[in-house]
Parts: sequence; C-alpha cells; structure tokens
Amino acid sequence: MHRSELARYFKDNLFLAGLKSGSKEDAIAELLDIFVQEKYIRNRDIVLEMLHQRETLGSTGIGKGVAIPHGRTTAAADVLIAFGKSEAGIDFDAIDGKPVHLFFMVIAPPNDEGNVYLPILGSLVTILNEKANRDKLQKVATYQDFLSIITGE
Amino acid sequence: MIKKDLELLVSLQDIDLMIEEVGDVEKLGFSVSGYTELKKAREELAANISKPLLFRYERLRGKLKRAIVPVKNDICLGCFLRQPTSIGVKGREDEQIFTCENCGRMLYWLD
Repeated sequence: MHRSELARYFKDNLFLAGLKSGSKEDAIAELLDIFVQEKYIRNRDIVLEMLHQRETLGSTGIGKGVAIPHGRTTAAADVLIAFGKSEAGIDFDAIDGKPVHLFFMVIAPPNDEGNVYLPILGSLVTILNEKANRDKLQKVATYQDFLSIITGE
Repeated sequence: MIKKDLELLVSLQDIDLMIEEVGDVEKLGFSVSGYTELKKAREELAANISKPLLFRYERLRGKLKRAIVPVKNDICLGCFLRQPTSIGVKGREDEQIFTCENCGRMLYWLD
C-alpha cells in the first residue's frame, strides 16, 4: 500500500502524543478509549476482549520500541488507526524485550472494503522498520507533522 | 464484562477471524507463538454459549463465512440491505438476536 493511501486511515482525533499509561494493559485500554470517546466504537468490552485475545496469540510489540495492537472485530464498521506515543516507554512484552514508545492501534471490521487491513499492517511494519521514521515519530508533537512522516513527504 | 449471548458470539467470531488470518500476520513479522493458547481460549468461550446458538453460528459461518455482521445506519454490512428501524431499537440493546431477512446473517448494531 502506498504511504499516501495509508495516511487516509488516520484521524486527528485518534492521535495521542502523550500516552499516560505505565503498563501494557493500561496502554491498550487508553488507546481503545480514544475510539470509544470519539464514538467509533460502541461496545468497548468486546473490542478490549479482542485486543487481549490478540495479545494471547503473541505480543504485538514488534521490537525497536514499536507496538501495533490490531484485530478485526464485528464491533467496528471501518478500518481506523490510532497513534499513541509514550515518552517513558511501556513494558509491552515486545519480542526484543525493550520498552515500547510508539503505538499504532489498528481496528478493522470483519469485512473491509478493498481488503486493506492486511496491507495496512504490512505498510506500517515497513515504515516502522526504518530507524529514521522511528526517530522522527519519537519527536512528533502535532498531527500534521505526524502525517508528513507517514506519507514520507 | 461480556455476558450477553450476542456479545459472546461477537467475541467468538472475532477470535475466529484472528485464527483465519494467523498465517498472514505471521508473514508480516508478528508473533503468533500463542496459537495453541488462542485456540484454547476459543474453546473456553464457545463452551459458554448455548449449544443451539453455537450450532446456528457454526452453520452460518460454514455457509456465509461471516455469521454475524455489523449494522450501521440501519444497513446490514453483510448484504447492504436496510433493516427495519423498528428492530434497530431492540437490536441495540444486544438482548435479542435478529437476523437479516435478506442474507440470513445475525446482526450486531454499531450505533
């Protein structure tokens, strides 16, 4: 997926530059709560359960300070991504054991138009594998700057 | 806390969707080392659902791939048929399970 296309799935009201959580469980809940507050999700418990089950399958902490909690749920209609950043870093059982600073929560419906869910995950992994992108994201403070990093422009 | 039958079914389907795509997410570099634990969690959840309802779910999944589909703005997102507004009021309470008259899938209201 092209980076400009990926950018379409972010929203300024799902951007959180200062995550307050200190634990994995709290970080997942804090990110999910943005979806709930902004009324993208009606039933928080169902989506929280799905995200916990996803962590049962394996930590979505992919290493190098990045986590991409994700999943399809029947309790969502559209593919959406929330971004969160923790200055202090959070123990997320990441595959390299390092604390996570950058979080991308991807929520998708059971069927998504154009089957973009997996390409979105792939595109995020590719962008976040680049150290330069991770370094820029660590410093990002505004949504506009964030989008520029995502699009690579 | 998830208690209602419909919510349990939605959670079950969410796990089934996850299981379906395990190979794909693994290829992207995500850990799937807990596959056995996830399957176990799926069976534990399924054990909390009444047998007739579980049978209905499995049968619909076998036939239509998605047994439960979201409803948004009164539209079934399985077949895109508008649902009667009258059932939406009750549907949103998650107490009763409604099916789409057109595609036969169980419905879950999002708004």
